Amino acid sequence: MTGFQELLKHVEAILAAGSSYGEARFHSIRGLTLLFLNGSLIGASTSDVTGVAFRAVYSGGLGFASTSDLSSEGLRGAAFRAVSSAKASSLVLKRGVAMGPSPQGSARYSVVEAKPLEDVSVEDKMRIVGEMVKSVDLKKDPMRVTNYMVVYSETVEYKIVVNSEGARVESRIPRVSIFYNISASSGERRANRWNSLAASGGLEVLDKVKFTEEFQDDVNSLYINLVKAGDPPKGRMDIVLAPEIVGLAMHESVGHPSEADRVLGREAAQAGLSYRVEYRDEYIGSPKVTVYDDPTIPGSYGFYLYDDEGVPARRRTLIDKGKLAELLHNRETATVYGVESNASARSTDYRSEPIVRMANTYMAPGDYSFEELVEGVKEGVYLRKYMEWNIDDYRWVARYVGLEAYIIRNGRLEEPVRNVVLEVNTKEFLSSVDAVGRDLQFSAGTCGKGEPSQPMPVWMGGPHIRLRGVVVG
Amino acid sequence: MSFTDPRLMAESLSRVVAGRVEEFVVGVGIVDSVMVKYASGEISVTQSWRDYVVHVYIAKDGKISMSTYTTSDPGEAIKTTIPLIDKLSPSPFYAPLPQPSGSPLSSVDSKIREASLSGDPGSIVEEVDVRGYGNVAGMILLKYSRNHYIGSNGLDMGYEVTKFNGYFRAFKGEESGQWAWVSTAYEPRLALKSLEKAGELASLCYSLPKVKVESGKYRVLLSPMVAGNLLEDVASAASAGSVIMGLSFLQGRKPGDVIASEKLTLREVPRAENMPGIRGFDDEGVATRDKSIIERGVFKGFIHNTKTAKLMNAESTGNAGWLIPRLFNLEVDPGSLREEELLEALGSGIYATNNWYTRFQNYLEGSFSTVTRDALIIVENGKPSGCYRRARLTGTLPKLIENIEELSRERWPIEWWEVRTPTLLPHTLISEMHVTAGAML
Repeated sequence: MTGFQELLKHVEAILAAGSSYGEARFHSIRGLTLLFLNGSLIGASTSDVTGVAFRAVYSGGLGFASTSDLSSEGLRGAAFRAVSSAKASSLVLKRGVAMGPSPQGSARYSVVEAKPLEDVSVEDKMRIVGEMVKSVDLKKDPMRVTNYMVVYSETVEYKIVVNSEGARVESRIPRVSIFYNISASSGERRANRWNSLAASGGLEVLDKVKFTEEFQDDVNSLYINLVKAGDPPKGRMDIVLAPEIVGLAMHESVGHPSEADRVLGREAAQAGLSYRVEYRDEYIGSPKVTVYDDPTIPGSYGFYLYDDEGVPARRRTLIDKGKLAELLHNRETATVYGVESNASARSTDYRSEPIVRMANTYMAPGDYSFEELVEGVKEGVYLRKYMEWNIDDYRWVARYVGLEAYIIRNGRLEEPVRNVVLEVNTKEFLSSVDAVGRDLQFSAGTCGKGEPSQPMPVWMGGPHIRLRGVVVG
Repeated sequence: MSFTDPRLMAESLSRVVAGRVEEFVVGVGIVDSVMVKYASGEISVTQSWRDYVVHVYIAKDGKISMSTYTTSDPGEAIKTTIPLIDKLSPSPFYAPLPQPSGSPLSSVDSKIREASLSGDPGSIVEEVDVRGYGNVAGMILLKYSRNHYIGSNGLDMGYEVTKFNGYFRAFKGEESGQWAWVSTAYEPRLALKSLEKAGELASLCYSLPKVKVESGKYRVLLSPMVAGNLLEDVASAASAGSVIMGLSFLQGRKPGDVIASEKLTLREVPRAENMPGIRGFDDEGVATRDKSIIERGVFKGFIHNTKTAKLMNAESTGNAGWLIPRLFNLEVDPGSLREEELLEALGSGIYATNNWYTRFQNYLEGSFSTVTRDALIIVENGKPSGCYRRARLTGTLPKLIENIEELSRERWPIEWWEVRTPTLLPHTLISEMHVTAGAML
């Protein structure tokens, strides 16, 4: 393993070559994956992605280089490449990059595992997951589950981040995730549901995420969609949204457009831009809407205490009672805005530059019970689960297609309806929220951004909420 | 780690595995690359990588284990993970490794190789100077990989390949255009052409009135960026892996079934020299071959490795993937009309130049929704008449390929975020697609 002293030696070399900033990150991710198809173990895979990344700023040019060759020669070569890349960039720049003042952490932390991954054998993991899979009741006549795939995955991410401005942070974060897809048919109708359950921690995560209950519930949702549900309603109506859809909407329609690098155009050709480039109003939502992104939630999938630039993490307020609030920043974007970084720099692995990312994005809970939300609807829809969504690259118009949904009539849940489509722009969505539940729940996701692609573990959350008068169908 | 020859590294690592398990393949890649990223009309960062990537397949008593190591001591990592195989249960996917039948096929451009090895993008930054193009974002990648595979089945082959890939997105006011390219050769003209195309589309939209698209069915012309994204999903559905996992709309289809317009011929072309997915042999050592997935509308067969072939009583098509078959390169046959003629053939409809975020409501039915980004051009009487943004195209893949009316004679080599497999393809005219209105800010 490459330690603090070795990394610092190369940071000093980066500075000695004339750079104004030097950074080194030892980044190791070891993982195990078990793939089950229709209850049988198909195969197992292991991975070890370990290396060192360097960044240098030279006369405004930003250079990045990484290597998995951890010999002194290999590290020296990568550090040199980071500087030479920065120098080359600096020659053709108009504005350039600067790393403004920022608090820098000096800390060592790790996520505590109640059931350490290392203490449980692979046989036991196979048995535990296999028994969970087998315990699910797939029989739902006349629906037939045609295929189901379950992927158990565990990783242990270990990092050391040092830079020329005093950051000295060592961290260890284990994570466990279960991904599954269920395909089902009934007569000529076919549908599938995928889901991802994940958190940081040890094997206790499997109990926490309630895999068996979630899987069973998804089988039931497919049954309702394929067998029980009628045609969806169309027109303007009230809608109650479940936490999994609220969380996704907060991630897609609030979190992503709050990434400062998107607003500045740094991701313009990849993940795109943000409505915050053009949107000029102070407010975007009703006073009921407050949205946070918080990396410090214990046990969360997006958990960290210091970002990959060594900045101490804290909760970020993205929307405060309907008013657009802070952006997510790394040091580069914070400097442009004349603020301090709020510790949003994350990198997927040693091959990745730290860019602005979300951690755990959620709508703050209110004080309504689910029953109270429904009682307040004369005619509308309750959208419990989605099966498809997408959004434009300004994060303005999103579409959600319901897997499981119900008509609400005179304050009561009535018959199920299939494939309800909610296509709505961000302002309409956030402005129409008139009541927010108190049942905050999180879902796990793997956020995509960057070039090369940097998949990133996140949570997305919210309570049940009620929207007044939105167009459905 | 001091290896600079992937064969020596593969030999060394195969000695760690041999004798411990019945069957194995060790694949080693030494990959050097350099990437220049652009934002707001200038370089935002230059990145370079030197990676040693080791993939190991082992099988014992019908059990399967695979590992990936990008680490300084893969030998030690392999030793610690080999015992994992004894703890697994037999896999229904298991099939013995086949006798190697392929031969090496490489495609290397010396200029890309030198830039990649040095980590210095060199002259490409001057040859593709974005400074005259205003607000431009994008990236240029130069990559050189050396690979070698050694297996218990006698596989002992390697290949080298270079890659020149990238994309640009140009902005004019609030309008934008985006275009991508890919090649194994150092061809700055491809990057410049992408830069120009992106700029042209942005300027065209900037000059046209903004016209709201009403939701409904339209004749739609798909650029190679959009068609590349959707036809890659069609090709993926032809992977036997997708069928077995229950993720394919082609489940239940047989070779000989008519599934698309006779205008569509979609091929998987691992032997295309100018495409960076080039391979002479697959991960199991089976010879690759160029083949039609769909030929003049007729389904020609699924994509297999030996495992899926055994499960579906078929032959490997040379597309391993140790567990799931993979696509190397794709190609769509050209049509007969020039691009301008195709725009005229569109008559009145919509020209979708780029898209992203394709999501499937239902993989088994192939029902999808995708969001247009960049220039969305309204066409009347064969001429651009207006522009709009952020509409959605929705439909099913079976209908999409049935509704292909014509394709352009010109083809473009595309690879980017939304087209992961290098694909050479034309503009594609669809007779009817559902478009839902987006919204301006």
